[in-house]
Parts: sequence; C-alpha cells; structure tokens
Amino acid sequence: MRRLFASFFICGAACAALTGSLSGQTAGRTVEWRTYGGDLASTRYSPLDQITPANFNTLEVAWRFKTDPLGPRPEFNFQSTPLMVGGVLFTTAGSRRAVVALDATTGEMRWMHSENEGARGDAAPRRLSGRGLAYWSDGRDARILYVTPGYRLIALDARTGALVAGFGQNGVVDLKLDDDQDIDLVNSDIGLHAAPVVAKDVIIVGAAHLVSGVPKSKTNVKGYVRGFDVRTGKRKWIFHTIPQPGEFGNDTWEGDSWAYTGNAGVWAQMSVDEDLGLVYLPVELPTGDAYGGHRPGAGLFGESLVAVDLQTGKRKWHYQLVHHGMWDMDIPCAPILVDITVNGRAIKAVAQPTKQGFVYVFDRVTGEPVWPIVERPAPRGDVPGEWYSPTQPMPTKPPAFDRQGVTLDDLIDFTPELKAEAVKMTARYKLGPLFTPPVVSNWEGPLATLVLQNFNGGVNWPGGSVDPETKLLYVYSFTQVWALSVVPSDGKRSDERYISGAARDPNAAAPGAGGAGGGGGGEGGPPGLTVQGLPLIKPPYGRITAIDLNKGDIAWQVAHGETPDNIRNNPALKGLTIPRTGQPLGRIGTLPTKTLLIAGDPGFTTRPTGQRGAMLRAYDKATGAEVGAVAMPAPQTGSPMTYMIGGKQYLVVAVSGGASSGELLAFKLPS
Amino acid sequence: MSLARLILVLAIAYVVSGFSRTVSALPQTARTTNDAVFTAEQAKRGEVLYQFICATCHGPALTGIEAAPPLAGTTFGASWSGAVVADLFERIRVSMPQDKPGSLGRQQAADVVAYILSFNKAPAGRAELPGDAEVLKAITIVSPQ
Repeated sequence: MRRLFASFFICGAACAALTGSLSGQTAGRTVEWRTYGGDLASTRYSPLDQITPANFNTLEVAWRFKTDPLGPRPEFNFQSTPLMVGGVLFTTAGSRRAVVALDATTGEMRWMHSENEGARGDAAPRRLSGRGLAYWSDGRDARILYVTPGYRLIALDARTGALVAGFGQNGVVDLKLDDDQDIDLVNSDIGLHAAPVVAKDVIIVGAAHLVSGVPKSKTNVKGYVRGFDVRTGKRKWIFHTIPQPGEFGNDTWEGDSWAYTGNAGVWAQMSVDEDLGLVYLPVELPTGDAYGGHRPGAGLFGESLVAVDLQTGKRKWHYQLVHHGMWDMDIPCAPILVDITVNGRAIKAVAQPTKQGFVYVFDRVTGEPVWPIVERPAPRGDVPGEWYSPTQPMPTKPPAFDRQGVTLDDLIDFTPELKAEAVKMTARYKLGPLFTPPVVSNWEGPLATLVLQNFNGGVNWPGGSVDPETKLLYVYSFTQVWALSVVPSDGKRSDERYISGAARDPNAAAPGAGGAGGGGGGEGGPPGLTVQGLPLIKPPYGRITAIDLNKGDIAWQVAHGETPDNIRNNPALKGLTIPRTGQPLGRIGTLPTKTLLIAGDPGFTTRPTGQRGAMLRAYDKATGAEVGAVAMPAPQTGSPMTYMIGGKQYLVVAVSGGASSGELLAFKLPS
Repeated sequence: MSLARLILVLAIAYVVSGFSRTVSALPQTARTTNDAVFTAEQAKRGEVLYQFICATCHGPALTGIEAAPPLAGTTFGASWSGAVVADLFERIRVSMPQDKPGSLGRQQAADVVAYILSFNKAPAGRAELPGDAEVLKAITIVSPQ
C-alpha cells in the first residue's frame, strides 16, 4: 500500500509549472456540495475548473479517512457521497451508519454520532453505511438529517453533532410509526439506504425492503413516501405508492391485491424542483421481483415516475415505465432535472435513467414525453397464474444506452470456437427482446430467459449526471446477461406460488450429500453463463454513454474500466489484441465538472507494476477521450464529489471492495 | 436447523470422526488456486455451509442477487482475480453473513472459500485450505486453467 501511494506524490516539472496558474481567479473562493446529487436537480455537476485535462495526472492525496472504527466491524461496500458545507465535510460511514463531520481540508474528525439500534438494527433490510445524508439551514440553525438502518430519521446539530431536541422525540422520528400501516418496530421489512432530501423546509423520505426474488410472503410492508417538517419532525404528508381504495390507480390492482402487496418503495434518490414545488419519485416494483401472479393488473405506481406536490404530497402526474413488472427493473436512481431545447422549444425536462437501458425524458411540468413513448405489444409468457401486460412503453428517443434483450448476435465472438460454444450454451435458454418474460425453469430447457438488463447490469443507484450547459447526460452501465426464471415454491421459503430460482439437475445429488462441488452449476443449479471463463456476450462489459438531451441522440460511448485480469490473461484470448473491455460489474457514479468528466473503475485490476488497485479516470466531456488517470487502492464505490476551499479544488470519492474496507480519498493538485 | 446448531454439528463431526485434515504447510512461494489448494471433501463441507448461510443473498448458484455480488463466473473473476486467497477469506470471516457477521469460525470460512473456488473450477487436491490468513496470503486467485 505504501508503494502504491508513493505514486500519488510523484510530481515532476510539468505539475510545478501548472501550479503557478492555479490561484489566479479562484483565490480564497469556496464552492460547496450541499446535497447528495450536487443540487436538488441531481445533476451531480460542479462548475469548478481548477482540475483540468492538463493537470489531472498530477493529483495527489490530500487526506484519507478510514471508516473501520466507526462501527463494530469494517465495512467493505462504502457507498456514500459526502456533502461539503462551510469547510466541513459530512458523511455517513461505518458498519453502524455513523455520521461524521470532517475538516474538508485535512480530513480531521470534528464530531461523530452513532446510534446502536440493537435488535432493530440487526434486523434491518438495508444495513451498513448507506449512501449519504442531507443538510439544512435557515441561516440560524443548521442540521444534518439521515435515516438509520433501523428506519429512524435523525436530526443532528451540524455544528456539534448533538441530537436536535425539538425534532421528533429528542431528535428522532420513528419512521415505522405514523405510516398508515401497522409495522413491527423490530423485525419488519422496511428501511432505507438513500439520503433523505430536504427542500423548502420539507424532508422527504422513501423506503427500501429486502430483495424480493424470493419474498417470504406476498404480503409485505408498503414503501410509502412521506414529507416531514424539518423543524419539528412532524409528518406533513404521505403518498401511497400503492393507492388505497378511492385513490387514483387503485383500480389497477385486481382482486384487491393492493391490500396485501407491499414494497413499491422509493429506495433511489429523489429530486426536487423548488420553483415548481414538485418532488419526483422513482418508484420500485411491488412484491415479487420475477413473479407477479399474486398482484394481477398494471399495478400503479409500481415502476412509475411520479411527480408530487412538495408541500402536500398530492400527485401532479405520473408515468409508468414498466407495466406489471417481473424483471426487477425498478426505477433505480435519481431523476435528473435539466432545461433543454428541442427543435427550438424550451422544455423544463426530467430525464430518468433506468436499468433497462433507456433514459426516459419528460416535460417535468406536465409529465408529457419529450419524444413519443409508444405502447408496443409485449411478449406473453406461460408461467401459471402470471398476469401479462399486453403492451409495454418503448421510448423512441434517445436510443438505449446499453444492450437490451439477447440474440445470437450478442454472443462472444473473439474466435469462431468461442462463438460456437456460446451458441451451444444458449440453446437451453429462451432468448428474446426486452420485456421477454421469465419462464418456469426446466432442466431439459428452457432453463431460463436470458435478459439484458436487469438488476445484474445496466445502471443502478448511482444513476447519471448532466452538464446543464451542454445538456449532455452521462451514465455508466455494465452489460451482463442474467438468467431469469422461476420455480414452484414449496411453501417453506415463501407463500408465493412461484419464486425466483432455477431447475436442478435431476441426476445431481443434493448439496452436502456428495454432490459435486466443482464447476459452474456443480450443486445442481444451472451452468454458469461463461465460455471458457469469459463472459457469454461481446464487450464492452462496462461503458459510459453521453446523451445529447437537446437532440435525443447518443453523443459518444466509451468502455470504462480496465480490462479485468481474468479476461486479459485468459488463455483462449492468447495472441489476440483485445481493446479495453470495461468491467462486468460495479455501481459507478459520474462527476461532470466545468472541465472534465470523472469516474473511477468499478473493480480491481493489476497494473503493469504488479500493484493491484483501481484507477480514477478523467474524460473529455465532449468526446469521451480519456485525458488522465490516477491510482486508487480500491475501486470507486461511492459517487465522487468535488468542492473548493481557499481557492483549492478537492475531489473526494469513497472506495472499498475486496478485502479493502471503506475509506474516503480526497485528492487535490500539488501546492 | 439453526445456524448455531449447524455450526456445532459440523464442529463435532470434525472431532468425533477423527477427521484427518492435512493442512497446507507454511507459506510457499508463487502458489495459485490452480495448485490444488483445497480438498473435494472440504469443498463439500463448504457447500453445506454456503447453501445454509450464504445462498439467501448470493443465490444457490452463486449468481449474486442485487447488492450481493456474484461469487462465480466472470464478475467474480473480475473482482478477485489477482487477489490472494487471504483477502477473500478475511472478507468472509469478518463481514459475512451480513445478518450475523463474524459468526463463521476460521475453518468454516476456509471451507466456504474452498467451495467458492471449487465452484469456479479450481482443482481440488489432497491438502486442505487452512483457516490461517498468513498462509493464505501466499496463494493467488487466478482463472482456472
């Protein structure tokens, strides 16, 4: 590690020449990062321009903050985006989701707050450090707001870290209460790892649940969204993401399935237009990630983008992106608010990246699609009891930013032998376009439907970013085939009729009874989707796409992430020259500044020096050309942010993964 | 069977059966997971533990589910290829399972590692993978040959 970081401090004559020009226009200037997404529009954009293509490679580590001591054990998936306000950096961190305030120039801790929630924390569906927090000030009071793993909303004095006595009960609002449903205070399936949002003195809080491929029951807690008064913690409003009788959309739930079905939370970040007074809610799918037979109907507001009034929670408009989902598409990330001009018409737009590879673009005032979204006939499946929507909405623009569906043309073709093996492998699977439904898994075939994308690929919680000047939207996605299938439930793990799963080899022994341990599918499950250790499909496996929102076109697309060791060194590729493939993993947020687009690698690779780590890369915003890269000890796991203090720009990113526990890395240019 | 009971049963089984485990010797140079660093029997024990403890989040076929990453295939390879086995062992031992981190003993963590390696087509041999991070630092995870 010491050797790795020695490279950060190497600064030759080139960087010495650059530093002289740094302080000209920016001396003494402070530029903050006050919300999770950079602003309430979730652009993740910063106007800072001190770090440039010419000096990015000279970045050095300003400070590091290791999070291990903040909880009872280290955390290895540190996802936070910190805030910086008034020279203080705030973040959630550690395995108990503590809050820390750090000196933003040195990383020195100013205060720490931690809640030991005991059994309630241990039973939380979404644990660990979470994705961040919110800051609020009226000029007199200043508060930090966050949600604990046990689903309690906490208000802290931003200056001291003390609980705010006048907020809720001594600084705490129990989010399992006053939620229009009975929720077990300890063992219920509800929590949140996203940061709350604060706008116009209203705190907006969503909900997350356990992964629902094999739900214990068709009956679960509902993921309602609520607004709270930032001063008192008093509930101002609630939005029923599963509408109750008499509410709009209740009739999209057949057979009273609205009554018992749960989930449909908003676990992604929300965005706010304070001028319009609207909050934009990206709603996930209801209970059952791959089987919806217990919830017949289109199921509003599952997988819908919903605009509600900031002060009342009343629905202004909605658009369902997936009718009656069974692909776990959710809506996984923040809607991005940006003003664009299309064919000479100024539009206040909202752009919603999704797992399925589309960016859906709407007029955020009215909810009207900017470009037509067409209801197209959708393939119908044959899972008993399932309800199939006859159509699904398909945007006509912009084009998908990642592959959708699987065809033989998508399969690996580095060599004819690899292609032939891939074709043979897929013969046991169902292939088809986007929205091809899951199958009941059969060992003789079809084993599953092969899909691109769902939760195992595409974009996820980091979402996208946008340059409000150029109207280019940036999004990272990774491309990996997932085998989607269900099996009959035996009633022990779930009371649903079908659950996610795959058929076992009827001739294989049960696990632990002498079944083969080796090889993909050795325990009787389906074979792994690899061909001689390589992905089933062609690269790129990870990419960044820039979309021109004025035109609705893709401006550029590049592979992001060094080619993984196991692909680069694969014997089947010996003698071949393979361009950078990107990596088939990761949740990567992008950071556009005035001068650069910045994103870290999602996985470890071994550099030519033999050191293992990941790179933080900078791209030309207009072309996607890589213009710089610096080494990090571990992959990016939290989305990067930037700020300026005293005329010096800092770049901060959370890294972790493998055996590297979470830490913040702060970079700056040499003094 | 509860997790604690399962672990107890396995522990007793080791002792009562007089199970003869040949633990790998002290650190050796330049060994990789292609050098038969665990036994088939150990991988079977790890499979039982995995299916009981790990499969809920990582999937019965190690495919990963949402936030729980795949432990097989190219994503696993991309994440862990080039690392030493000690890294994987310590990560599991310290932070897994997420609902009860630290509950696996060293040998049990090693057994789960053996199963994961086995599932990823690493060859089995005659010596067991020991629950000793210092020894495991000398074994690099590589793609199967």
